Amino acid sequence: MGDGRSSRVEREPADSRSASEPESETETGTEAADFSGSDLVLGYPGLDDPVVDGESIAVPPDEVTALIGPNGSGKSTLLKGLADKISPDSGTVLVDGRQIDAFGSKELARTLGLLSQENVVPTGISVEDLVERGRYPYTGFFDSLSDEDREVVDEAIRLAGIDHLRDRDVDSLSGGQKQLVWIAMAIAQDTDVLLLDEPTTFLDPQHQLEVMQIVETLRDESRITVVLVLHDIAQAARYADHVVALKDGSMRARGPPEDVITEELLADVFEIDAAVLDTEYGIQVVPQNPLADGAVPPTGDPPTPD
Amino acid sequence: MAKAFDRLAKLRAAGADWYATSKLGLVVVGSLAVLLGSTILQVSFGAYPLALGEAWNTVFDAQVVFSPDVWRWAFLGANVPEWLTRQQIIVWNLRLPRILVGALVGANLAVSGALFQIVTRNELASPYILGVSDGAGLVVLLTLTFFYGLMPVLPLFAAIGGGLAFLLVYAIAWKNGTSPVRLVLAGVVVGSVFGSVQRALFFFIDDLGVAMAAQAWLSGTLMNAGWEEVRIALPFTVIAMALAFTVTQELDVLLLGADRADSLGMPVEKVRFAIAGIGVLSTAAAIAVAGLIGFVGLIVPHMVRNIVGSDSKLLLAGCLFLGPALLVGADVGARLALSPVQLPVGVITGIVGGPYFLYLMRKKTNLGEV
Repeated sequence: MGDGRSSRVEREPADSRSASEPESETETGTEAADFSGSDLVLGYPGLDDPVVDGESIAVPPDEVTALIGPNGSGKSTLLKGLADKISPDSGTVLVDGRQIDAFGSKELARTLGLLSQENVVPTGISVEDLVERGRYPYTGFFDSLSDEDREVVDEAIRLAGIDHLRDRDVDSLSGGQKQLVWIAMAIAQDTDVLLLDEPTTFLDPQHQLEVMQIVETLRDESRITVVLVLHDIAQAARYADHVVALKDGSMRARGPPEDVITEELLADVFEIDAAVLDTEYGIQVVPQNPLADGAVPPTGDPPTPD
Repeated sequence: MAKAFDRLAKLRAAGADWYATSKLGLVVVGSLAVLLGSTILQVSFGAYPLALGEAWNTVFDAQVVFSPDVWRWAFLGANVPEWLTRQQIIVWNLRLPRILVGALVGANLAVSGALFQIVTRNELASPYILGVSDGAGLVVLLTLTFFYGLMPVLPLFAAIGGGLAFLLVYAIAWKNGTSPVRLVLAGVVVGSVFGSVQRALFFFIDDLGVAMAAQAWLSGTLMNAGWEEVRIALPFTVIAMALAFTVTQELDVLLLGADRADSLGMPVEKVRFAIAGIGVLSTAAAIAVAGLIGFVGLIVPHMVRNIVGSDSKLLLAGCLFLGPALLVGADVGARLALSPVQLPVGVITGIVGGPYFLYLMRKKTNLGEV
């Protein structure tokens, strides 16, 4: 874990990280959620073959894990399986040593949060009201929000940097701003594990950066395990502590970004000819050419038969 | 400095609350004004006209309002107090209960409409879209045609029929859970089958009087509304409204879509079913006393949402006031417009509601999603 982090390039001054690191080292294991899936077989009703066929993943606690892979590689499916949105045909998901389906529904929602790609925005709802709904798993049937709930909501709004939008109608916001609001709501849910399904896809560069910085702040400031699906390899390289590359529903590589994101892997998994440069801004991926299906990659492993 | 910011934040929150409440206040005050105006018109005019002052005095006659005899008569079904004057009888026995029934029916239709719209996440949903009305209607026609002796328990039958139709719709729509679209489509299918059977049943009715009664019931009318109907509808209404207001938090979360609600730890199918159950109860209370009155449940939640937004508590509160106002207002038109001929109020709501709905369709581009 130490290598992975130290070689990551920070935009922030390095000392803020080194100050927080020893603390997180000592506390690891006391509170952080152990989160893993083993031998997961995941599919959809109506499909003959499972999309993910017998994969295991152990998510390092308190870190950011990125799932990458081309379209249809099963990364979103794997995420949904981990979130108990798709019940696996076989295999188990464990949170803190307990099977995920042994949790009560609200109890699970206090432990594990999922932000999907598509979200429905009701009309005429203010940003604050929407974020408050993230507290639903904490409120009883007749309860209203407690002071503590309001503090968590305030904190989530601050973390997501949307204080200035607080009283605005959500449906009057831009796509990027809406995404920040959804993330604030997921933060207000105050879970040990947060799963994000392509949180940056379709956003402009500014909001992509904002989203990824929130993820980073979350990781640094609170004890939360983040698993996110990313479409953008460069983002995974830059922000993730741990990268899992998938293709055709199976894991091709996992580990710290600089070990995983290599020219060979890009050729194998994404079928592109790309240069991977180790620059002062971290690993940079410069795509060159698409490889024709089945073409032999320039170097390294022979392609696995599909 | 931090304190100043805190205070500022509180002020702003209070301001936002006040703004939301003031919009609800607008709906409430406007509705009460319409309700009061309709009440005065309804009480004054008719076959036995009263001067405005007379009508007013009779309605607020302390001797009647605070009389235990009158209360026993109205709410417990005791005999009509003998000391009432002819004028008091007309106002208190004929015109006021009709207004009261109208208000109860309006509140039920509007609130259940709001509930169904949220459950199906479809602005075009209404108590009638999920087959509830056609189920109830079929049972009523069956009773009128073949079991005329069971007329006194008709409302109960209507509720059961509506509930059964809803269960059928739910069963048809179920495939690894339900979806709003499947629910609406199943509702339309069940509704049209039941509607056809209803029309077929008309050919088996021999008695013209029965046919007229069935026809009036199917178009929705308050013509026969009296204290008896108030006594039938009131308990159901109170229960349904109380239940609806306890689930506002669930409604708010359900509005975010099934996926999000599920991620927030809500057992979506159970909650959906329970809320729809409240809606059926509420609809049954209205159908039982007034028959099938269309468009109120469709349009009132719509109008309220346009003003107060989709916060469920505000929405339901707004519906609770605007529904009665709209229905009682429409009933004034139904009773007095073509006097001495009375129209069923459902005809008026249909004539007014249809064009309003068309107007919405043309004005809004994304009509349909709540």
